[in-house]
Amino acid sequence: MFSQPTKSLKALAATCAAATALLLTACSSSGGGFQESGDTGSTTSASLRLLVNITPVLTKEFYQDLVKPYTDAHPGITVTIEAPTGSDVSATLQQQLAAGSAPDLVSGSLGRDTVPQLAALPEEQWVKDAPYAEQSRVGGVMWQAGSGNQVQSIVYYNKAAFTKAGITAPPKSLDEFTAALVKLKGAGFVPTQTAGEWVTGAQVQMMGNVNVLGPTPDWFTRRNTGGVSFADSPWRKVLDTYQSWIEQGLTPRDAMGLKYQDAMDQFAAGKSATFIMGGWYIPTAKDGVGVFAMPTVDGSPAPVAGNPSIPWSVTKSSKNRAAAVDLLKFLVTDKDAVTKELKAEGNFRKGFEYDATPLNKEVAAIVSAAPATVVASNGQGDNSAPTGFNDEFNKLVQGLYLDQKPEGVLKSIDSWYTSNAK
Amino acid sequence: MSHAVLLTPATVMIALFMLAPIALAAYLSFTDWDGLSPNPQSVGWDNYAQLLRDSDVGHAAVVTLIVTVVGTLTCNIAGLGLALLLNGPGRLNGVLRAVVFYPYVIGPIIIGFLWSAILGANGAIAHVLGNAGHSPLPFLSDPTWAVGSIVAVVVWSQFGVNVVLYLAGLQTVPPALHEAARVDGAGRWQTFRSVTWPMLAPSVTVNLVLVLVGLLRVYEIVLALTNGGPAGRTNTFAFLILSESFRTNHLGYGAAQAITLMVVIAALALGLTALRRRAEDAVSA
Repeated sequence: MFSQPTKSLKALAATCAAATALLLTACSSSGGGFQESGDTGSTTSASLRLLVNITPVLTKEFYQDLVKPYTDAHPGITVTIEAPTGSDVSATLQQQLAAGSAPDLVSGSLGRDTVPQLAALPEEQWVKDAPYAEQSRVGGVMWQAGSGNQVQSIVYYNKAAFTKAGITAPPKSLDEFTAALVKLKGAGFVPTQTAGEWVTGAQVQMMGNVNVLGPTPDWFTRRNTGGVSFADSPWRKVLDTYQSWIEQGLTPRDAMGLKYQDAMDQFAAGKSATFIMGGWYIPTAKDGVGVFAMPTVDGSPAPVAGNPSIPWSVTKSSKNRAAAVDLLKFLVTDKDAVTKELKAEGNFRKGFEYDATPLNKEVAAIVSAAPATVVASNGQGDNSAPTGFNDEFNKLVQGLYLDQKPEGVLKSIDSWYTSNAK
Repeated sequence: MSHAVLLTPATVMIALFMLAPIALAAYLSFTDWDGLSPNPQSVGWDNYAQLLRDSDVGHAAVVTLIVTVVGTLTCNIAGLGLALLLNGPGRLNGVLRAVVFYPYVIGPIIIGFLWSAILGANGAIAHVLGNAGHSPLPFLSDPTWAVGSIVAVVVWSQFGVNVVLYLAGLQTVPPALHEAARVDGAGRWQTFRSVTWPMLAPSVTVNLVLVLVGLLRVYEIVLALTNGGPAGRTNTFAFLILSESFRTNHLGYGAAQAITLMVVIAALALGLTALRRRAEDAVSA
């Protein structure tokens, strides 16, 4: 009477075990999801998949137009543009790697953890000349090459607001910046615009990076080995300054209820007087907006903090690596392709000129006058923070709006960093 | 033999798409897998020990508890209340039932963005208050208000299905029982307490369990409404798993969190069902 259910249970258990073993095998064997290396393949005949970062400016059509001259010149090469299916390029690449269907080329912000899954770029001059390829080195290997330089750590300002507040020259130091914001508040403006989401942390990083990485360009490398700390660095002055802005109402307390788009709308509508943001804001900015370099702690000229714009990497598991590298070379060296990429986001690269807007030219002048270039955001290559740093930094810095003290915030950042540094 | 053959397709599907992923997640929860390296290393119970020490997990658990308890009670009270009001013939009732159910069919991401445009510091309510000379309310910028906003939006988006389920339950109450109660001189409240409520016991169980399980896994509305902010104070447990553990490539740790959440959901659902069994048995009797 009970033999039939017992057999069914045994069958069920065996099926589950087999399915589980199958999945585990698929994920753990080198022949499954993760591959140590792909094939070199041919440069004349290949079907390439490009996983790209999609934004309102960098649309799928933009990338298709970008590669068209290459595919026209290489009839044997076909290119498929793929948008992220996960939350971003990094998450999508992770999923695709696990599924054993990684793209040939990937463009996006990738952490150091991803480097073992990417192919070393050749030690050739065209790679070394590509923006931030040298800075991308991890363990001596270049794995990413940018099309241009995306500037961060600049302050957009409403020229009419500055005139009304009687501010005749851009502030040079953080103290002068605070004094200017006080005048702007007196003139009836929201002195500096911020928002929740990722904006708070990004803006504070833009304030901090020029002050921290200017004097110590390899600061993240040193932090990774515990040689320096956030608490005992210029980050303290930056966070003290930011907290004083919150206390004095120079940045609105309810800003955490705003999104990035709200912040841009507020600034565009002339309600707020300044907006700390990266170069990607240039195409959105309206007339009457000026820009100045991020003020520094001591008022000395700020270095340019930048990132590679549209950075490209080749995956190690690509079966068409030779063709992928050839396309990458086209994307970071071809005059028309690079110019198209630069113009789309208002980015820069020496030797590649385009018809720029007046605001773009102002940013270019800041870049030219800067004493040095430092890596922005969470760094590059060996000189970079652990994966997830930007999100954690943002979360902890937002604590300043909840009356947390800078020393406590910096201690928490140090604690997280120490736990996650490799 | 024929039973085994008939069971095979369903068994294979369940094994492949339910049991195997759970087994895989359970395995990964004992590793340091970063989602990228091909050979994750075993870390024993470290991920689970870290769960107990992680203050972010503790905070997310508290937020999840608040959202779940307040949301489950509110969804059920509002759902039952409206179902009682709409339990009758008439075209207006039919229209109102559809209207009440409407939010449930909208995607939670869309609901989150919709309400962030209403509740945000630059949103519709802030504009109305501003035009009336009042300061905006910190719906999304103050942690306490933001958790309250999440609960309110979750309830708004969920309770339509409770209305429908309670309406279905009310249709199963034999009219003869109501008639008998009226003959015995029972008022509306007495009829509800002594006849309707006991007869709704199975519906109550279903509604409680469905809402409880749904709210323990709240993710999309948090993502679109507050993105966990300000300062991570509105992180729910499910949001924390996806936004932090996965984003920082701590997938082994994230798997441990996911398995823990699954066990908690299963335990609460089973516990609640067991607690409700006596009430349901009374109806059967």
